[in-house]
Amino acid sequence: MTTTPVRGSTARPPLTVIQRWQVGLIALGIVVLVIGGVVLLMDVDPSRYLGIAVWFLGALILHDGIAAMVVFGISVIMRRVGRRIPLAVIAIVQGALVVGAIMTALVVPEILKKNIGSANPTILPLDYGLHLVLFYAGLAVATAVAIALYLVVARRRSAR
Amino acid sequence: MIVKWQVQRLLHQMRHSLAAPSRNPRTAVVLGRLLAAAFLACFFTGLYSHFIQDPLPGMQFLTRPVWLYQVSQGIHITAGIVCFPLLFAKLYAVFPELFQSPPVRSFPHFLERASIALFVASSLVQITIGLLNTYQWYALFPFPFRQTHFALSFVVIGSLAIHIGVKLQTISEHWRKSPTNYEPDQDDPDAAFDTPDELQRLTGKPQAAGVTGRIFEWIDKTPTSPKPETSRRGFFVTVGIAAAAVVTFTAGQSFRVLDVTNIFAPRKNDTGPQSLPVNRTAKKAQVIDAAMSPSWRLKVLNGSEVKTFTYDQLRRMPQYEVVLPIACVEGWSQYATWRGPRLSELVDAVSAPNSATVRITSLEENSSYAVTHMQANFVRDDLTLVALELNGDVLDIDHGYPARIIAPARPGVLQTKWLSSLEVLS
Repeated sequence: MTTTPVRGSTARPPLTVIQRWQVGLIALGIVVLVIGGVVLLMDVDPSRYLGIAVWFLGALILHDGIAAMVVFGISVIMRRVGRRIPLAVIAIVQGALVVGAIMTALVVPEILKKNIGSANPTILPLDYGLHLVLFYAGLAVATAVAIALYLVVARRRSAR
Repeated sequence: MIVKWQVQRLLHQMRHSLAAPSRNPRTAVVLGRLLAAAFLACFFTGLYSHFIQDPLPGMQFLTRPVWLYQVSQGIHITAGIVCFPLLFAKLYAVFPELFQSPPVRSFPHFLERASIALFVASSLVQITIGLLNTYQWYALFPFPFRQTHFALSFVVIGSLAIHIGVKLQTISEHWRKSPTNYEPDQDDPDAAFDTPDELQRLTGKPQAAGVTGRIFEWIDKTPTSPKPETSRRGFFVTVGIAAAAVVTFTAGQSFRVLDVTNIFAPRKNDTGPQSLPVNRTAKKAQVIDAAMSPSWRLKVLNGSEVKTFTYDQLRRMPQYEVVLPIACVEGWSQYATWRGPRLSELVDAVSAPNSATVRITSLEENSSYAVTHMQANFVRDDLTLVALELNGDVLDIDHGYPARIIAPARPGVLQTKWLSSLEVLS
């Protein structure tokens, strides 16, 4: 039986289980990325790459440059008003604003496209503008009810 | 050089002021799990839809359950819509990372940030073009939608695997809930600069000086929340309500049970001719004259063996009634009752072997789906019809009059309308 000499300080410690998984996942990710690149090269005409790049840049600018800054401003202001209004009420209002904003982001393009026109009447058949207004109304009512419920519960709790 | 330290000071201030109870590694892990599940659901249902349309050699697909494609594609679209609130929440939870200072610390750190930029951009583009495609707003795409959406799916999933790999240590530490995992991230890249003292020395400005300094001092005067759990709970409740809302108000296009609350989906059940939505009309496909012509015939070929069927001859064959969904790649679907002769009996008239596939040709020209192929197990299925009737009436011209294909578990684009010929291939 032979033994391998230990090379003292030059020997690297063996990879931990997590490190092995990390190597595997990153390698897998690179392989899948390469597949994506190959599919792009094979299926999409190179004259269209610029358009895709514009969309990517646009997404980063819209998100990191504009949306992130708006959220930054709002969260900073909310933190300031936080001294005067109960925290839970702020949380409820913030939540309602976020839900409303997300629905708006999804539905406004739909309204715009419907105004431009659809290939046939069964595509975008609903009155999305009216529905969005109704949704806002419902959301406002639900928010008011949630705040009222919270205030009632909080008062009862402090009265005890 | 002073500009560099000024920028760093600003980044540090922003990062500092963004600290919030809901922004911590545990939140990121909880949301990351949900988002990864949604991304993977979209990826695999997307691959299924892609390959059922363009199978690789040797691929086979199931004909049962009849709702397989309907549910798979309904999940694809609905999970894609749910990605909007989840992705926004995930980005919110890791928001301070955007203001890391210095922005790049080392080459590996540069690679990590670049891979995250690719991940964020490709995810945002992928779900946005998917949504806009369901609105059929093709004019916004300076690229072919289907091919780009397919290629990007690999970019998103590849970046996801890399991201999980890079963050695995954090993920495993925060996988289970524990009292310590709501602590803010200890890995503060500014720590090396002994901020704010060192930045103050380098920039020559006290922390509270200048416009930004004063603003941030004003912000920081606000004591942090005495009840961080209220803030965290509020955050998760908000994400949950947003996700529930987008599903409730759109998923009715794919899942009938939610039809009553479908107020925002681009499609609504029971609209259109014969109470069924249409994607391509006869007018758009320019088939009205050919389809309405009394000289219309369905040609069935097997090599040199050719049979032609008039509309009346098709009606005199044994008629079968099936209840099958029409399920579009854009996610909407609806069940209907179809009636007509079986495809298998038609191809048997030209002595097709059991293993034969069929090339189906429409009267329609100028469409990539004018000619499609059907694999043998679908051709031989008892539920696969050359439909002549829909919901008890003669097919509407927009639903494929005089005759169309209807088969179980296939995407709508392959349920060829305005049939012209059926060719048996060995």
